[in-house]
Amino acid sequence: MTANARKKRNVAALKHAVRSYPGFLWWGLGQATNGGLGFYVWMIVLTAIALVGANAWAHQVARGMIVTNMTDHVSWGLYIANFTFGVGLAAGGVMMVIPAYLYDDEDMHKVVIIGEAVAIAAIVMCTLSVLVDLGRPDRFWHLMPVIGRVNWPVSMLTWDVIVLNGYLVINLHIVGYLLYMRYLGRKPNPKWYVPFVFLSIIWAISIHTVTAFLYCGLGGRPFWNTALLAPRFLASAFVSGPAFIILVMRILRITTGFAAPPKPARTLIQIIRVAMTINLVMLASELFTLFYTGGAHGESAKYLFFGSHGHYGLVPWIWTAIACNLIGTGLFFMPDALERSNTRIAACILCIVGIWIEKGMGLIIPGFIPSTLHEIVEYTPSLTEWKVTAGIWAFGFLLLTVLLKLITTVFAAEAHKTEIA
Amino acid sequence: MDGSRHWISLVMMLAILAGVTATIQLRGASDAADGGSTLEALRGESSANEEKSSAVRSNSFVPPETFPVTIRKPAGPPRVATNLKDVHGEAVTVACSTCHSTRSPNLQNKTPQSLDEFHSGMKFSHGTVSCLSCHNAADYDSLQLADGHRVEFTDVMTLCGQCHGPQMKDFEHGAHGGLNGYWDLSRGPQQKNNCVDCHNPHTPQFPKMQPTFKPKDRFLEQSRSEH
Amino acid sequence: MTTDNSFPQEPHDGEHLKPLLPILDQPSTRRTLLKTAGAALGLAAFGEALSPLMVIPENVSVDEFLQQHYKELTDEDKKKVFARLEAETKERFGADVTITDSKPIPGVRFAYAINVSKCNGNGKCMEACNKENNHHRGVDQSYIRVLEMTKGSMDMENGSTTYDHTVPQDDKFYLPVQCQQCDNPPCVSACPIEATWKEDDGIVVVDYNWCIGCRYCEAACPYHARRFNWELPEIPPEEVNPNQGYLSNRIRPQGAMEKCHFCLHRTREGRAPACQEACPTGARVFGDLNDPDSAINYVLKNKRVFVLKEELGTKPSFFYFFD
Repeated sequence: MTANARKKRNVAALKHAVRSYPGFLWWGLGQATNGGLGFYVWMIVLTAIALVGANAWAHQVARGMIVTNMTDHVSWGLYIANFTFGVGLAAGGVMMVIPAYLYDDEDMHKVVIIGEAVAIAAIVMCTLSVLVDLGRPDRFWHLMPVIGRVNWPVSMLTWDVIVLNGYLVINLHIVGYLLYMRYLGRKPNPKWYVPFVFLSIIWAISIHTVTAFLYCGLGGRPFWNTALLAPRFLASAFVSGPAFIILVMRILRITTGFAAPPKPARTLIQIIRVAMTINLVMLASELFTLFYTGGAHGESAKYLFFGSHGHYGLVPWIWTAIACNLIGTGLFFMPDALERSNTRIAACILCIVGIWIEKGMGLIIPGFIPSTLHEIVEYTPSLTEWKVTAGIWAFGFLLLTVLLKLITTVFAAEAHKTEIA
Repeated sequence: MDGSRHWISLVMMLAILAGVTATIQLRGASDAADGGSTLEALRGESSANEEKSSAVRSNSFVPPETFPVTIRKPAGPPRVATNLKDVHGEAVTVACSTCHSTRSPNLQNKTPQSLDEFHSGMKFSHGTVSCLSCHNAADYDSLQLADGHRVEFTDVMTLCGQCHGPQMKDFEHGAHGGLNGYWDLSRGPQQKNNCVDCHNPHTPQFPKMQPTFKPKDRFLEQSRSEH
Repeated sequence: MTTDNSFPQEPHDGEHLKPLLPILDQPSTRRTLLKTAGAALGLAAFGEALSPLMVIPENVSVDEFLQQHYKELTDEDKKKVFARLEAETKERFGADVTITDSKPIPGVRFAYAINVSKCNGNGKCMEACNKENNHHRGVDQSYIRVLEMTKGSMDMENGSTTYDHTVPQDDKFYLPVQCQQCDNPPCVSACPIEATWKEDDGIVVVDYNWCIGCRYCEAACPYHARRFNWELPEIPPEEVNPNQGYLSNRIRPQGAMEKCHFCLHRTREGRAPACQEACPTGARVFGDLNDPDSAINYVLKNKRVFVLKEELGTKPSFFYFFD
């Protein structure tokens, strides 16, 4: 089928007399599930992985968390590690919103919706990561305001649940409203979305700050109990988020021909350069304090980087992360990274992997090692945990694909319509 | 337009600030309700809690009935095993006085090492006291205090308490020797151990033990995670 | 999708799989039909993948699912809940038990002290806790861990809970650690749903039927006092302690958090906690802080007392002392 024919169909779709928002969503779902062979293979593979994950989780619920490798000593593992990274990904999307709306960057305005879509998918992944970490998911309603009994405002976890869901709702509203208006061919009314965009900027920072407070508020865990944690989380989020968005834009260009202007990616690279440098500086000062002072508070860091009492479980992880981060940062600073180059892609991938480890396995797990009674119990995720985690990522990608499909369809149809007009 | 943007972000920041302040205040309030540091409350400084509790107590209409504290007692003077059996096949035991009443005490004997006949090989490790510091040469079926007063075996704690004052004081205040039963004597009785229940008078140091129970934390067992 | 060159083709009735992929150029209604079939297939697959979840309706009755927080239960509700729990215990563990709801004694505030000079690390307290509190026999769970510490250091880094030799060793001392019943408990602040709270007599309790098992409290506790039920506990029927409290030693459900509760089903009836009765060295002292003549107050006034990790500001009601 030719591109022209597709455009025609898109316009035809737009001419449909669907005017209600649910109608638009239904239409969008239909459009978003249309595609070629590659698209269907991609969707089926993701569905298959998600199925494996769902099945592993169902077994975990039935048999108990005993099927994970978590213990009373290391009571959080891969799920919460992924959750932390996911929050960063979601918060990172805001690095497109800020240039677009605070600095009125015209080009960024055109693609900012991609960042918002990534945020939505990432938040859904975070919610799922928390859900699979619950010992009693059947009691989830206890967490809901009014019908449950929330420990607000004292518990940081309650804050986190509230801000994450709030962020999801805000982004769903912004993306939904803007797309709907485009679909209707109307100009979006700033009253209906600009306040929410500004809210989302503050909110994005708050979700990651609150997530950091979740850990750094615990006096019994010296490895987390540092004021630098929230700034470090934000700095690394402003690397992983934009890096992920750059990758998404590249994939969109290859698969759909959705061509973003070159400037937004350059802006993002500049942001990454700054954020990653700040992140590395903060990591270095953290490590200086831990190692130069020494003592029991540095024990977790010692275990993480060099092993302790004959246990070396996380040493390969963290050095991989350090290597990825350093090389990735180096690549970002090469002039080549500002062009549409492989250097840029490699840098993005390296930094995403590096931050995933640094923030996940490299931050959550050593918080528990040594335990509060200074026992060393190591942790490696079980097969079940890997399956469930892969399932969550697959579901996140499914969601992201559908969202991007919807976005590109609406954009393409609108562009064509204005052409015709 | 610009003005409204700034206004909105200002409101958002204020909202977050208000939330944080509320958190801090709520935590502070719960601290105050808990009555401050337990240690301080304890060390005689009056605390709200304490006053409240004494008020409750003095107001209670019927003074609570107090249950007794029972201290276990030895059955009586020890009996010495012989190798003989009586007509029913029961082992024959004899009182200390069976032998000691016919023999005069040798005041030179201060340790088991110098005993060659009967108590030889007995382990003794109890400071520098000698046999007759505690055993009553006038009647071997009883003991004697340092001032020479006779004391029965069943009242051995009086004897121990002569030297071990701090332990005795701890014991009397429930901080030595453990207990069984009720901590609250208005609800039930309490049983306490006697010195010699735990301490062999000849070798009073608490014996070594072998731990028999160990929680099997998951890291101690074989991996059991996969199905 | 730019490489999509498939031609329209007729789908065979009842055989939706094959023509599913090249649906792009199908006439719109047929495409919708195919997508609907695909979606139905996907949903069915998800249903099948999630089918192990069916144990939830099997094990969790509607009453249990809808059960309210402990503090919101009326006496009538509690009667029903306890009866249901007793019946479930009979059914699942084969034991006849009585579940009670001991209330704090007005004016009483509990505290515990351990004589570090006396404790010899024999571990009888852990064993008594295991039996009294219906702990999982598979892992010999207990709310207490005894640390063997090296003399000359209070650094737990030099401690071990896994020692297995005659005790006491000459160069060691022993530090039993259990819930410190903090006055400023980090676990209570952490819990997102108020499933754990501090009672008027100072005991921090958990509503095992309200806890969602997020384990944030376990991360927050500086004393390793909390335990998670990674699976349903196993206990032979003859070993089940039938004297059970709702907030204390009833058999815990899978996936919920638990912790030391100072044996409140005993102590609120005036009895000594199980670990104190079991201690052969008399190292354990328990009592009412508000009673000036209590054993615990004697210790606090006359001994050199310390608490663990005082710098964290948790304000424990659990003390350690030397003779």
